[in-house]
Amino acid sequence: MGIFELIFTEYLLKFNVPLWLIFLLRQILYFIFAAAIMVIMVLFLVLFERKYLAFFTRRKGPDRVGLYGCLQTAADGIKILFKENILPKNADKFIYFTAPVIVFAPVMTVYLLIPFSQDVIPYSSNTGILLFLAILSLPVIGVIFAGYSSGNKYSLIGGIRSCIQAVSAEIPLFMVLAGIIILSNSMNLNDIVILQKDSVFNWNIFPSFLGFIIFFVCSLITLNRIPFDFPEAESELAEGYNCEYSGMKFAMFFLGEYALTFIFSAFTACLFLGGYNSPFGCYLSDFLNFPLITGEILKNLEQFFWLILKSFVLILITMWIRAAYPRFRTDKTLELCWYIFIPLALFNLMVICFIQYFRGML
Amino acid sequence: MMYSFIKPLKELAKGLYIVLKNGFKSDVTLMYPEKKKILNDNFRGKIKYNKEKCIKCRLCQKVCPSKGTITIDKEFIIDFSQCIFCANCVENCPKGALQITKEYELASKNKKDLIFKEEIN
Repeated sequence: MGIFELIFTEYLLKFNVPLWLIFLLRQILYFIFAAAIMVIMVLFLVLFERKYLAFFTRRKGPDRVGLYGCLQTAADGIKILFKENILPKNADKFIYFTAPVIVFAPVMTVYLLIPFSQDVIPYSSNTGILLFLAILSLPVIGVIFAGYSSGNKYSLIGGIRSCIQAVSAEIPLFMVLAGIIILSNSMNLNDIVILQKDSVFNWNIFPSFLGFIIFFVCSLITLNRIPFDFPEAESELAEGYNCEYSGMKFAMFFLGEYALTFIFSAFTACLFLGGYNSPFGCYLSDFLNFPLITGEILKNLEQFFWLILKSFVLILITMWIRAAYPRFRTDKTLELCWYIFIPLALFNLMVICFIQYFRGML
Repeated sequence: MMYSFIKPLKELAKGLYIVLKNGFKSDVTLMYPEKKKILNDNFRGKIKYNKEKCIKCRLCQKVCPSKGTITIDKEFIIDFSQCIFCANCVENCPKGALQITKEYELASKNKKDLIFKEEIN
């Protein structure tokens, strides 16, 4: 139990609150925490991406609403709330309404699995990685539903493409993750992060650098980020699966996409870049003589900062790639996954097995 | 075999580098209402009418490619909602009664604001 949980439990026990209620309240607070982080990240990322792309293409980006356009996303959100909900004539009504929820809800849940700092681990599961991947394959089902139920050929093609790319990109992704599981002997995300502490050279990126690159590109494919965005390919399919959606339902697809972008980069940071661990091996709060509880809280904040920083570096790279490359062809992407990434991932797995074997000998 | 792998990777890295290099150049966007474009000397904007020089010859009316823009009887009328700013009238005016200015922000919510009228003595 982390220090925050201890303080919380102790405080509530003074008022004779039953233990089961304390645990329930704790989980609810964790969920609120994760949801707050998600909403803030999404609001920030949308604006950040627009500004950052503007930087690359020598434009200004949004700068009219608020100081330097900082309220632009909020204004867009308010606008989208008042938009009319349109139901297409050929739509399959029930599936059409449930599809955005199926996309959005799993993303919401997955935020609980990330260890944010040493004491803030909303849900520590012994099969964390498996759970993560299982939950993250659900949004694809929502996308296929959306494509099928819109009653529009472009949407249907978008849904099918999404299905194809999810299947082909997740196989190398799983193979790379198998390597990580072998390296750290555990599927618990928190254990994986703890094993990478103390030094940069303990990070998993060094034994499986190839794996990191494969994981990164495959996560771009599963996220439908721009070089691989064929499910929504604007010029070919006119926004693909979310072509017929408007108002709040469109916003759910949109928010889900950005929330996934952050969650994938945080996950990559946890697996390969040491998660919440400081790259210097020590924390600022170790040198400052604070009383115990204040020091611990500061340390947690520092760890949270490192996790956010690492995931933001990854997000910066994905957006840089978005600014630089045109869209891949669908068949070329499948070729990339099946002919190049799967053999490379197997090779990576072999290298990791050797490393782990010789590590055991030492 | 190895070269065929390395070459595309090199090109991809080159693309990233070029995009990054472009980012540090100055912005292309013109912040329009605050900053305005520097206009050329022969820019054709709103047409100015000088009633003292005008001799009512109606050459401007004849030469105008968009018919009905200029009408002259008791008063001189230019309809700027129809004018294409070719400045043919200015060039053909024998006494130089018409002039071009650099004013181009003519947009208004009322169409009647775009019709310029002046009485001829």
